Amino acid sequence: MKFKDYYASLGVERDASAEEIKKAYRKLARKYHPDVAKEEGAEERFKEISEAYQTLSDPEKRQAYDDLGRHGPGEEFHPSPEWETRFSRGGGSQQEVDLADLFERMGFGGGGFSGFGGGFGGGTGGPRRPGADFPIRGQDVEVATELTLEQAAQGTEVSFSLSVPVLGADGRVQKQSRSGRIRVPRGVVEGERLRVPGKGGDGIAGGAPGDLYLEVRLAPHPRFKAVGHDLYLELPIAPWEAALGAEISVPSLDGPVAVNLKPGMRSGQKLRLAGKGLPHRRDGAGDLYGVIQIVLPETIGEREQALYRELAEASAFHPRHHLEGPPTDG
Amino acid sequence: MADDLLIPDDDEGCTVALEELLAASGLGHEEVIELVQFGVFRCAQHAPVWTFHVRTVRLARRAARLRDDFGLNVSGMALALTYLERIEALEGRLRELESQLPR
Repeated sequence: MKFKDYYASLGVERDASAEEIKKAYRKLARKYHPDVAKEEGAEERFKEISEAYQTLSDPEKRQAYDDLGRHGPGEEFHPSPEWETRFSRGGGSQQEVDLADLFERMGFGGGGFSGFGGGFGGGTGGPRRPGADFPIRGQDVEVATELTLEQAAQGTEVSFSLSVPVLGADGRVQKQSRSGRIRVPRGVVEGERLRVPGKGGDGIAGGAPGDLYLEVRLAPHPRFKAVGHDLYLELPIAPWEAALGAEISVPSLDGPVAVNLKPGMRSGQKLRLAGKGLPHRRDGAGDLYGVIQIVLPETIGEREQALYRELAEASAFHPRHHLEGPPTDG
Repeated sequence: MADDLLIPDDDEGCTVALEELLAASGLGHEEVIELVQFGVFRCAQHAPVWTFHVRTVRLARRAARLRDDFGLNVSGMALALTYLERIEALEGRLRELESQLPR
C-alpha cells in the first residue's frame, strides 16, 4: 500500500503534542471543511486532514502509525509481520487496501470523525466496525452529474459509477464498484439533490441500506444563465431600436420568440418573457429575462456619422445634466 | 445494480419520518427537536408524528458533520446552519445580479 505522511498532512512535527495536533486539525478543518470552504480541492484536502487526525488523535492508533516507520509520501510499503500481529485484527491479505482502511479496521475506539467521505462517489457514515452485532445503516452515497439546460428542462437519464464499501465474508471492508442509471425528472435546478432511497451502501447486521443522492450541476450555456428556474439572456439592441421600438426575435429554450420592443428602452432594463424559463417539476415554468444592452457597431460609416451629427444638432437631450454644478443631497 | 433505471423520490411532495431523519443523519433525537425549536429545521408535521420535508435530510447531515468535525453543540450547529443558509441565499442573489450585468 502507499504510505501517507499524516504529520505532514496536518503540518506538525512527528513529536507534536496531542494539543498541537488538535490545534492544527481545527485550524485546517475550519479552512477546508466542505460545508464552509468553496475553493477547488477543499473536499479532498479535508479528507486527507480528517484521515490524518483520526489516526493521530488516538494514542493507540498514533503509536501503531509511528511503528510503521518513516517512508516517503506515496512510497509503496507493507507493514511488517510483527506489526500485523500487534495491531491488525484478523488475517488475510493486505492488498487492495489503503492506509485509512488499515486503521479503520483496527477496531480501536472511534474518534470524532464524521467520515465525510469523498463526496461524489464517496459518502458519509459507512461500515466502521466490521463484525458489529448490532444493525448499522448502510452508507449514503453521493454522485454528481452535469446536465445541459436542455436536459434539465426536458428530463433525462444519467449513468453513474461509484465505489461503496461492503463487508466481505472475512469481516473486512472491501470496495465494490456499482453502476446504474438514474432518471432525472424535468425541472431540476442547479444544486438540487435527488434522493433514491435504499440504493446507497448495504446495511450491516440487518441495518437498512443507505440512500443514493444525485447532485445536479448545470453546465454553462452559451446563451442563458440559470438562476433557479429563471433564465437570463443578454439582449443587445441598436440605439435606433431602443429609441423607436422594434419587433425582434429573442431565442428561448423552445426556439425563437417574436417580441415587440417599446420605444425608449434603456440599457439594463429587463424584458420578461413569462413561462419561458426552466419548467417546474409539475406545472408552470420560470421566466426568461432578456437584459437589454444598447450597443454600437465597432466602426460606423460616413453616412451614419452624418446622421448622428444631424441627430446631435437636432436633439436637446443632455444626459449629464444632473452631474453639473456642486453635488446636492438626495 | 448495473443498468437498473433508478427512480428518485419526488422531492416536492416527499417527507421523511423523524426516525428516518435520525438514521440518515446520525443526529440524536434531542438534537433534532432542539434544531426544530431553534427554527433551523422546519417540520412538515409536528408531534405526535413528526415528519420533515426530504430536503431536511441534507441539512441534518450537514449539521452532524459540523458537530463531529468542529465539536459543535446544538446552539453552535444552529448558528452555523443559519449563517450557511444566509450565505447560500446571498450567493444565489449575487449570481442573479451577475446574470444581469453585461459580460
